[in-house]
Amino acid sequence: MQQALTLDQLKLQQQRSKRRRGVVYYVGVILIAAFMLYPVVWLVASSLKAPDEIWTNVASLIPSEFHFENYAEGWSGFGGITFATFFRNSFIVAGFGTLFTVVSSAIVAYGFARVKFVGSGIWFSIMLLTLMLPNQILMIPQYIIFNQLDWINTFLPLLVPKLGGDVFFIFMIIQFIRGIPVDLDEAAMIDGCSKTGIFFRIILPQIVPALVTAAIFSFYWTWEDFLGPLVYLQDPNLYTVSLALRAFADTGSVTNWGAVFAMLTLSLVPVILIFVFFQRYLVEGIATTGLKG
Amino acid sequence: MSEPIATLPVSKRVDEAASEAASQPKRRSRGFKQNNAVGYLFISPWLIGFLLFSFIPIAISLYLAFTNYDLLSGGEWTGLRNFERMFTQDIRYGRSMIATFKYVLLVVPLRLMFALAVAMLLNTKRRGVYWFRAAYYIPSIIGASVAVAVMWRQLFGPQGVINAIAQLLGFDPINWLGNPDTAIWTLVILAVWQFGSPMLIFLAGLRQIPSELYEAASIDGATSWQRFYRVTLPLLTPIIFFNLIMQIIANFRVFTQAFIVTAGGPLDTTLFYTLYLYRRAFNDFQMGYASAMAWVLLLIIGFFTALSFRLSRYWVFYETKEG
Amino acid sequence: MSRRHFKFVLLALTFILIFSLGSAVLAQDATEMRLVWWGSQSRHDRTIAVVEMYEAENPGLDIVYEFANFNDYWTLMNTQAAGGELACVMQQDYAYLSEWARRGLLAPLDPFIEQGLLDTSTIDDTYLEGGRVDGQLYGMNLGSNSQSIILDLDAFEQAGMDLPDPQWTWDDFEQVATELHDKLGIYAYGSPDLGDDQIWTAMMVSLGVNPFNDAGTDFGYTDDQPIIDHFNRLLRLQEAGVIQSYEEIQAAASTGPENSPIVTAEAAMQYQWSNQVVAIFSAAGENRHFKLWPMPRPEGARSANYLKPSMFFSIPEACEMKEEAAKFISFFVNDLEANEILFAERGVPVSSGVREHLQPMLDEVGAETFDFLERVAADASPIFPPNPPGYNDIRNNVWIPLFKEPVLYEQIPVEEGMAIFRSEAQAILAGNE
Repeated sequence: MQQALTLDQLKLQQQRSKRRRGVVYYVGVILIAAFMLYPVVWLVASSLKAPDEIWTNVASLIPSEFHFENYAEGWSGFGGITFATFFRNSFIVAGFGTLFTVVSSAIVAYGFARVKFVGSGIWFSIMLLTLMLPNQILMIPQYIIFNQLDWINTFLPLLVPKLGGDVFFIFMIIQFIRGIPVDLDEAAMIDGCSKTGIFFRIILPQIVPALVTAAIFSFYWTWEDFLGPLVYLQDPNLYTVSLALRAFADTGSVTNWGAVFAMLTLSLVPVILIFVFFQRYLVEGIATTGLKG
Repeated sequence: MSEPIATLPVSKRVDEAASEAASQPKRRSRGFKQNNAVGYLFISPWLIGFLLFSFIPIAISLYLAFTNYDLLSGGEWTGLRNFERMFTQDIRYGRSMIATFKYVLLVVPLRLMFALAVAMLLNTKRRGVYWFRAAYYIPSIIGASVAVAVMWRQLFGPQGVINAIAQLLGFDPINWLGNPDTAIWTLVILAVWQFGSPMLIFLAGLRQIPSELYEAASIDGATSWQRFYRVTLPLLTPIIFFNLIMQIIANFRVFTQAFIVTAGGPLDTTLFYTLYLYRRAFNDFQMGYASAMAWVLLLIIGFFTALSFRLSRYWVFYETKEG
Repeated sequence: MSRRHFKFVLLALTFILIFSLGSAVLAQDATEMRLVWWGSQSRHDRTIAVVEMYEAENPGLDIVYEFANFNDYWTLMNTQAAGGELACVMQQDYAYLSEWARRGLLAPLDPFIEQGLLDTSTIDDTYLEGGRVDGQLYGMNLGSNSQSIILDLDAFEQAGMDLPDPQWTWDDFEQVATELHDKLGIYAYGSPDLGDDQIWTAMMVSLGVNPFNDAGTDFGYTDDQPIIDHFNRLLRLQEAGVIQSYEEIQAAASTGPENSPIVTAEAAMQYQWSNQVVAIFSAAGENRHFKLWPMPRPEGARSANYLKPSMFFSIPEACEMKEEAAKFISFFVNDLEANEILFAERGVPVSSGVREHLQPMLDEVGAETFDFLERVAADASPIFPPNPPGYNDIRNNVWIPLFKEPVLYEQIPVEEGMAIFRSEAQAILAGNE
């Protein structure tokens, strides 16, 4: 009797301290979130301010008057080419770009991480070296190559190189694969599985978190990139959102800042949605399904 | 390895360190037979892409580093002239070096620690954690836009929020962006605040750690700190290593933040290497000189990357080494 | 190897194939003429409307256009120039015109004027002059422009002060500024800083010398004293708090004109090119009153104002349909209906016919800009020859980082900075020999 009571008390105590810890956790997490969300709130507020209020009342988070027409003005784009066009283009470039990048990166990473072949070290270091050279320097030679191929003014220069994967993701996935015990590979191999079989059956399910991370980054990086679209796309009907946004603001002429902030806000929506959608898979990563033997 | 690192050419060092890294399985002959055809087939997407779209531009830029190519008309071979000018005559080059090193030394450790701490915090199944993750990632996606420039300059401005808080705490307001001593800090804080990408990679890494290990540790009566130190940290080392390498490379190449927020000023205290290089190339038409700068940067980054690979054997734990 | 391997390769090859085919189809073009410019939304909208108008009048001609902001534009143009892919009509800037022309990238426009394709009959020669390099016209002026000091009329009224003499000197400026500051307690002058390199060149023009010699191999003057005096004055004023210090200017929330101190009523005067004042007037709102004033000049000198083309249209040498390009430029500059759409957004139109046509339609800001240019034109100094190659190098890598900033941050004395500037700039100019 006595003992049962103490057990109950103990449980109660544990519960209480757990709840207390929960409260501390949420207070902390919410406080940090406030810092993190400030820019979005500021951006949305600015996108609703009148042109003179944007600058005379920069810090305020609540517009004195709501100017929803900023969105209409921004959406109308340039000379009849609306943001519907720019969004469509961005979706094509970022969507296919992400697909190509992630698939290729996973394949290449597996090759480096789990297959032994002559020259793998050399190729790996060359691969890393390409990451260290500022790409500003490669822009012009690359432009000349794509010009020779007659690819200027198409999405090809933006998409085809992605079929080769991205060094950042290749290296990242390599590191993830190397965290997976080799025993699994070996067991599969004894069962008569080929290298490709191992990749699909053993490795791929285990690196889902890495692939999801790669997809989120790749989408965002492609979405925000403006230098590639600037150089390779000539026809405004092919402009991406990031490029169109930059065409709004010019230091030497009148800039409709309300429209800039409005379209900037809209341009964040797909990136956030992609994040929210994909991060689901981050949580349900393989670690919890207990595939590990 | 006993030979002094500094006497080897950098590419060779990277190469050795990398071959160490990439072909780790060679230590275990069992089960890992060499298979060239399969290996090359798997890396062929990258290899083909590299040969088609990167190799020639890289070779051209190396050639241009020894010329006075000016973008609009062909360059002449000038030998080591560009490098000589960089190290002996160009005052701004020295300033850009100082700014870049300062930035890298501050940002890399701060950002990694912050990202890891927050990833630990969010690696839970508590309710609503989804939304917090999204919220914490948001600064990183607002990253390079003109909005960040305006907002950040306003935050650190004379009447900005930061100074308001400082005054509340009894400090004198600081002219963050105008003072050559403090301007770089606005960019460091911006970079740390945008910790989303390393955080996400850490999170993915944490998800990969088998929960059985935590359970086993709990049964052994390990405290949460012990669990972190004994289970999480060692198993996360490949990912920490990856993030470290990538942060070193990315921050040496930092461009956008300075480009949009401070434009390199004041007094060149935020004139980061790549920003200066870009200006030389596209504003001053000195593509030859800029190419030379790019290759020096490659050597610098290569050195630190190779060093990290060298040191990684002492602290990075790979499953493939066990067995 | 399993069959899966081949699937990868096959997949990759298919992608490449599809895209190659796609690009081949897309690459087939009719008679296309490419046009590129920089600007912001309003300029893009106006220019596109004029392009469509021109296409409607010239069936069979397809104008393909590209636009970007100023910074992106030059990155793009440099890339296209390096790739030999320049458009047929490109917007040009005074700072780059001679560099591009001397490298043979631009075609002279004089032959088209002689052939009557490019109509300059209503354009005064002073407006064309700025587009000439080595005696030939390489850029068609799209709008006239001059430096100005914006005066906040409300601030002057509040201080009970008369507006300064339009022919004021820098000494007058100092005195007016001090008085404004004493009476109102605000900054008399805000940003941008008065150590701008274009104030230096304007100062040289008003002293009757050119900034550089004709060959572009050295400075065109030997006496640095006026510039040293100018910077000592700036140091005096910023020390006294009459004008914003350089440090404070750097800390402004935006580097653009929209958020400048005159807009937020923290300062009473501001230096600005006249085609950029619209941004300030509209950001400040309707209940503020401004007036454009000529630049102050050194004691005893002539006007420090000159008429500068705000931007040009040029025809790159690589263009294969130069006559068509010239005809389009002619339309763009002369057509009344087109200019109703363009509405002086690129600066005050150079064709007298267009100016007269637009005059009655102008709003307050537009009228003030037109009026200002007329006032200035009366005694303007002639424009100096286009900057020599390497000028951008001098400005970006010597004037600002080695002279202006260290001096205004009071890290080195003006004389020492000036000596550094002279020797470093001369080293760059010597490269033009």
